[in-house]
Amino acid sequence: MRSQVIRFGVQTTGDTQVIDITERVKEMVRESGAQNGQALVMTLHTTTAITVNEGLPDLEDDIVELLEELAPAERNYRHARFLHSDGQMAVNAPSHLRGALLGFQCLFPIADGELVMGGRQTIYFVELDGPLYREAIVQVMAA
Amino acid sequence: MIDFHTHPVQVADLFDDDPTLTRAVQDVFGLWMSPQPLRTYELHIEEAGADKAVAVPLDCTTAHGMTVVSNAQIARLMELTDKAIGFASVDPRDPGAPQRLEHAVSEYGLKGLKLDPALQQFDVADPDTAFPVYQAAQELGIPLLIDCGLSWAPKGRAELARPLALEPAIHAFPELQIVISHFAWPWIEEAVALAVKHRNVHLETSILYSGTPPESLRHALDRVGLDLLDRSLHAQVVFGSDYPRVDPKRVADGVRRLGLRPALERKIFNDNAARLLRLEVAVA
Repeated sequence: MRSQVIRFGVQTTGDTQVIDITERVKEMVRESGAQNGQALVMTLHTTTAITVNEGLPDLEDDIVELLEELAPAERNYRHARFLHSDGQMAVNAPSHLRGALLGFQCLFPIADGELVMGGRQTIYFVELDGPLYREAIVQVMAA
Repeated sequence: MIDFHTHPVQVADLFDDDPTLTRAVQDVFGLWMSPQPLRTYELHIEEAGADKAVAVPLDCTTAHGMTVVSNAQIARLMELTDKAIGFASVDPRDPGAPQRLEHAVSEYGLKGLKLDPALQQFDVADPDTAFPVYQAAQELGIPLLIDCGLSWAPKGRAELARPLALEPAIHAFPELQIVISHFAWPWIEEAVALAVKHRNVHLETSILYSGTPPESLRHALDRVGLDLLDRSLHAQVVFGSDYPRVDPKRVADGVRRLGLRPALERKIFNDNAARLLRLEVAVA
């Protein structure tokens, strides 16, 4: 099994964004030259998420709305203090918890050099504390 | 809308030509976050609802042997983005500080002066070191943004940043427009007392100690009464975030959640800063 880790960046432009990265991931898998194996898509941050859903704007809005209900901006979070290791106020507990709810990675098979995906499946990079320049990886594992 | 207090210490473009900046930002300023593209800085300003932001350097040459972003780097930032309103910083313990300030204003077009007595480690009431700098700023007609209260910088000494210590300077330089950052928390009452009495003293909103900005702003300002802002200080409070200690969007949200009258909110977010910066047309 051979492994390639491909890093890629996402410049987010708002506080919360659901960004379709499906075509970028497909292209990275094609460029890797892998024929049969698996592709892991993973964000490198704890206030972003990777999720898979049907690529419809209304569902994207519903996901955001539900996250905001489940981890509301106003709550007595413990994570609301100065974080000495960063030198910043750590006041983004909702962003962390929304990320935890969605998860940080997804895995797809690769067959004949292409990602195997359902027709309605879309890979999303979800910004939960933007705007920031973010990084994610695709790990291609193939024989 | 104007954010009156940002430190561009995460703007990657400024690090490219200055290998010492990383050490200054980490060891002196106390920030351990990766640099971000210039675009992120611009987007942070926009996400808060602001159009422009005051970008400040800090000259800590005597105290720590380095600058945390130099005046020249602020000038470069102004070339890279029209969102930045650049301020200068000089080291009051440098005998040539007044001349350096004049040069920064004339050469680079910088619009104000930033001092941080806790981190620069100078006596704000010293007539031999600090006063010549205030004199130069007054003569240049530029505002002074001065850090008061708790300093999150590892080497910062809050004892040097008590607002009442500014009163001799306020008396000596009545035309100098002074903006006290953080409402000088935890010495809010001292800062408010100065501002209530002296119309050239202004207060900036980045009150950061614990809790979210909406919580800390509410908690701190309740100590002096929110009505005081409307009645006595409506022309003397400016919005500032102290980015990147906290995201501008969160401080702006904290101010909006105070439930102020729309006219007062507009003054805090825009009009008071525009007047201090002598912007010909107020930013929308």
